[in-house]
Amino acid sequence: MVKFGIEFVPREPYWKIIYYAVQAEMGGFSNLWITDHFNNRNVYVTLTAAAIYTNKITFGPGVTNPYMVNPVFTAQAMATLNELAPGRVVLGIGAGDKTTLESVGVEMEKPLKAVQEAIDIFRKITSGESVVYSGEVFKTAGAKFLFKPRGTIPVYVGAQGPKMLEFAGKMGDGVLINACHPKDVEYAVSCVKEGVKAAGKKLNEIDVAAYTSFSVHEDIKKANKAAVPVVSFIVAGSPPQVLERHGIDVKKAEEIKEALKANDWGRAFGGVTPEMINAFSVCGTPDMCIERIAELLKSGISQFVVGSPIGANVKEAINLISEKIIPHFRT
Amino acid sequence: MDYRKLVELIPIGKWGALSDKLVDFILTSKNDEKMSSQLANTILHHWQQSVLKSETGLAALLEAALLLEPEKTINAFGELQMENVAEQIKAELES
Repeated sequence: MVKFGIEFVPREPYWKIIYYAVQAEMGGFSNLWITDHFNNRNVYVTLTAAAIYTNKITFGPGVTNPYMVNPVFTAQAMATLNELAPGRVVLGIGAGDKTTLESVGVEMEKPLKAVQEAIDIFRKITSGESVVYSGEVFKTAGAKFLFKPRGTIPVYVGAQGPKMLEFAGKMGDGVLINACHPKDVEYAVSCVKEGVKAAGKKLNEIDVAAYTSFSVHEDIKKANKAAVPVVSFIVAGSPPQVLERHGIDVKKAEEIKEALKANDWGRAFGGVTPEMINAFSVCGTPDMCIERIAELLKSGISQFVVGSPIGANVKEAINLISEKIIPHFRT
Repeated sequence: MDYRKLVELIPIGKWGALSDKLVDFILTSKNDEKMSSQLANTILHHWQQSVLKSETGLAALLEAALLLEPEKTINAFGELQMENVAEQIKAELES
């Protein structure tokens, strides 16, 4: 049975995020993902509050990266969280966002290697080992916790490109696929399958999640309106081949990018077309969203993550998902 | 302001609808900085325990809503045919 996850960006104060997290838990969501960007509120502080106020939902950073935070610190934070909420903690880790990293002068060097080595170190140190590690990106000389970490923390790899997706299938306990359209998710899952096969595993042994930009409302116009800002940023950040795959005019995407750079929101958001919304979000009325999720499930995903904006009104959107969408996939 | 006493003025049958309205005001407010962490934690605790529609839950919501969105909150009492409570709050705020 498909699991439903929900993502929050801690740009909002912790009490709003946690209110929604509790609401999501009550509404049948099984996973909570909190994004990790230095320019928002801190992910681990937010997750700590989530650990305190929720009772059963599984949660973790969605996703952190090994460039901004050394993997031993990530491991320390996660191991501590796992004491607060034993068995409910998962790590989401990926290469990070190039633009954000560049803004703090951090180069995204050898992303695949960096993520792989970070996971190696994370797993070793959270299992209580003294870690002597000499990688291409990270080195440790006997790093060991002075406390006994409890349990194993599953690792989800945030992935978009084919190599990272394959790696995620091979090494991850789960994968967070950053895609919304069935064509993209199908392709991504095929890459994950390669990795799974190489590791001698089966696809159903890992949790394959579609991490989507999502917007639901009974009024489609309101759902679309809420999705537009997020979609404009996705379009602006998408490579030409991805845009072309969805029949999106690269020139139009370039115009949106320019408008965003100039903080000309009206022009940027006004340039977003229905084709762009369809390609880069799951958006519409509950019935329309159900149809799209059902299509995505055919690709072999086991978790559907509802990401920003969720809806024009987050509380109402969570209610709609809990009352109309999740029950559809439970029967 | 004694929020518990204000809640006592509200008919029990209207607690649920009022609680929903106040939560909406709080969650959609742009005046986040006016919320104290102590009050926020109290509300989250009541939410976790599913008692936001109880007397103590409603008192905490009322305090937060009046801090973040006083005008909307007072108007809500009018919409819910509780002008007496709206007047009482106005008087308390002015004193």
